[in-house]
Amino acid sequence: MPKVTINGNTIEVPAGTSVIKAAQLLNIPIAHYCWHEGLSVAGACRMCMVEVEKMPKLQVACNTTVTDGMVVFTNTEKVKTAVKWALDFHLINHPLDCPICDQAGECKLQDYYMSYGLYTPEMNQPKVKKEKVVSLGDRVVLDQERCILCSRCVRFTKEVTKTHELGIFNRGDRSQLATFEGRPLNNNYSVNTVDICPVGALTSKDFRFKQRVWFLKEFDSICNGCSTGCNVTISYNQNGVFRVKPRVNHDVNGFWMCDSGRDIYKYTNKEFRLTQVVERSEKLGGDAVRGKPVALALQEIGRQLSQVIKNKGAQSVGLVWSGQYTNEEYSSMGRFFKDLGVSQFYHWKNNEKDFDSFDGILKRGDLNPNTAGLKKELAGLKSWADFEKQVSPLEMIFVMGPENFGAYSDLEENVKVIKKAKEVVWFTACESSLLKEFKWLIPAKSFVEKSGTFVNSKGLAQAFKAGLTIVPDAVSLEEAVKGMQESARMVS
Amino acid sequence: MSVVKRPSQKSKWYIPGVLTGLGITIRHMFFNLLHRKDIFTIEYPEERYPYSDRFKGNHILTVKKDGSLRCTACMLCATYCPAECISITAAEHDDPNVEKYPISYEIDILRCVFCGLCEEACPVDAIRMGPEHQTAALAGSRFVYDINKLAYRPNLKGGVLSHVDDEERKARGL
Ligand code: SF4
Ligand code: SF4
Ligand code: SF4
Ligand code: SF4
Ligand code: FES
Repeated sequence: MPKVTINGNTIEVPAGTSVIKAAQLLNIPIAHYCWHEGLSVAGACRMCMVEVEKMPKLQVACNTTVTDGMVVFTNTEKVKTAVKWALDFHLINHPLDCPICDQAGECKLQDYYMSYGLYTPEMNQPKVKKEKVVSLGDRVVLDQERCILCSRCVRFTKEVTKTHELGIFNRGDRSQLATFEGRPLNNNYSVNTVDICPVGALTSKDFRFKQRVWFLKEFDSICNGCSTGCNVTISYNQNGVFRVKPRVNHDVNGFWMCDSGRDIYKYTNKEFRLTQVVERSEKLGGDAVRGKPVALALQEIGRQLSQVIKNKGAQSVGLVWSGQYTNEEYSSMGRFFKDLGVSQFYHWKNNEKDFDSFDGILKRGDLNPNTAGLKKELAGLKSWADFEKQVSPLEMIFVMGPENFGAYSDLEENVKVIKKAKEVVWFTACESSLLKEFKWLIPAKSFVEKSGTFVNSKGLAQAFKAGLTIVPDAVSLEEAVKGMQESARMVS
Repeated sequence: MSVVKRPSQKSKWYIPGVLTGLGITIRHMFFNLLHRKDIFTIEYPEERYPYSDRFKGNHILTVKKDGSLRCTACMLCATYCPAECISITAAEHDDPNVEKYPISYEIDILRCVFCGLCEEACPVDAIRMGPEHQTAALAGSRFVYDINKLAYRPNLKGGVLSHVDDEERKARGL
C-alpha cells in the first residue's frame, strides 16, 4: 500500500486513493466544491489545489492518485494564492444574496472566503443575470445565479438515482443548471441534491425561510420513516424540529436518505401531537375529558387492567403492536403483560401489500423503523387477520399505535376493527380525530424524545439518544409500565 | 480592624449649613421669578426638549419607493440583538427579485436596551433608530411594536425611505 506524506504527516492508504481522501483521513482540510466522496470525480472547481514535491505545477487533489512516497503540501503560499484566485473566479458572477440565502451560515463560499479569500473584488463588469427562484420539482428550488456549476447535483441524478433529470446547459459564463424539458426533479431522493450543493443554489421548499441555520441545534438520531433505519441529524430549536439531514454510515445509508424520510420531523412537532391524556368514561357523561395527569391516568389503567384480569381472565386482554417503538419499550411492556398472564399479542402491519418491497436504493415498503426488533423481542406475535377474528370477545386492549401517521394509510379501517373491543387504551404520539372514541388516549413520546434501539431490516441494531422534549407529559412505554405496574399488581 | 469614627461635637453645628442652603434656594426663587425666560426646566409633557437626530430612540423600519418594507428578513438584527427582543417571521415573496420578506416583525421595546446593534447589523439600511423616545403606554401589549407601528406610525408620514435601492443596484450590475 502506498505511503503518502501530507504536511509532514505520513499515512498508508489503499492503492488508488486520491490525495483529497488521504488528507481527509488525516483530518487536513483541503478546500473543495465539486468532489464528493459518494460521487465520481469531476475536477470542475479547481479549488483543491495542492503542491506535490517534484511536480512543477500545482495539482488538483481530487483527481491525483496517491503514489508511494508522495510528499504533498496543502498550506504553502503558492497553494493559498491559487485557491484565492479560484474563489475569486467563482464569485465573479455570484450575486450578493447572503441575507436572503438559506445556505448562509453553512455555505462553502462564505467559509472559504473567510479562510482563503479576504480580497477586495476587482471586477467592474456587471454580473451575468440568470433566473432566480426556479422550481425544479416538488421539493427543490434552484437559483441559477448562485450556482457555481460544480455538477455535484448532476452527477447525483446520474449516478445515484440514475434518473438523469439535471443537466448543465450553454457554455462559458452563460452555463446554467436546469432540468430537461418536461422532466422535473421529482425522484424520491431529490433533497439530497440540496444537501450536497455546496452553495445556496439548491434549496429545499420545505425548509426555505423557516429558520436561519445558526438558530438551530443538532443531534444524531435514526430515521423512523422505514425499516432501512438511515442515520440522520435532526435540527431543532426552542420552536420545534425543523429538518432532517442524512448522516454518513456506510453500513446503512451511505451519504443519502430518501425524501419521504425528510418529513418524519413533522409528526414530532407540537401541532400534530397529543399533548394531554384524553379519557372517556360513562361516569364522566361519555365525553372526552382532557388533562388528567399522566401518572394518575396510568395508575387508573393499571387498576382497571387488574380488575379485568381478575373478573374475566387474562385471555380477555389483548395487545396490538406497531413496529414504531424501541426494543427497550417492547421488552419492558411485553414482560409486564406476560407476567400478568396476558399473551395475546397482535402485529399491526401497515400497507400489507408492499410490505416487503424495496426501491433499490434505500426506501423499503415496511414503513416502520423497528419491525425486526418487535419480532425479536416479542416471539409468537399473531397476525392482523387473527386479530380481526378474535377482537370481539376481548374486554380490554392496549394499542401501541403508530407515531408516524403519514405511514399508516390503513389507519381509518383498522380503527374500525379496534373499536369492536370494549375498552381501548391507545398510546399515540399524534393527535387524530379518528381516535376520539377510545376510552384512553395516552400521549406517547416521539422518537426524538426517547433513547432506545431500532433494529433495521438487515438486523443491524442501532442505538439512538433523546435530543429534546416537545410534549412534557408524554411517556415512553417503559415509563408507562412503571406507571401501571404498582396498581396492576395490587388487586391481582 | 476597623476604626469607627463617632460624629464629633462639631458636626452638630448643622444649623448654619441648613440656613445657607435655604438661602441659595430662596435666591434662585427670586432670580427665576424675575428672569422667567432663563429657566432650564421645561413643562413636560406640554413642552418637549428637541433631541438630536442621531439620538438612538424608537426603531423605524424603512421602506422602498413603492412603500413596501425594505427589510429582507435576513434576521441579522435578531441574531445580534443582545436583548433577544426582535422576532421575525419570514415568508416567500411573489416577486423572484425580492424572494424573501418579513410577514411579521416585532420588537419588544421593554426588553430593548437601545444599543443600536440592530441598526449596525442590517445590511440594507432597513432598520434605524429614530429620535422618538417617549414610549409610555397603558397596556403591556402596547410595548410590542409590530410592522405597522415600526414602519407606518403617523409621525413617520408614510414611511422613511431606505438608502439601499434594488433598482439602482441592478442598474449598476450588482
Ligand atoms: S450561496 Fe453562499 S455566498 Fe452565495 S448568496 Fe448564498 S450564502 Fe451567500
Ligand atoms: S446547483 Fe449546486 S450542486 Fe448543482 S452544480 Fe450548482 S452549485 Fe453544484
Ligand atoms: S437597539 Fe439593541 S436591544 Fe434594541 S432591538 Fe436593537 S439590537 Fe436589540
Ligand atoms: S431589519 Fe435589516 S437586519 Fe433585520 S431582518 Fe430586516 S434586513 Fe435583516
Ligand atoms: S474538488 Fe478538485 S477540482 Fe473540485
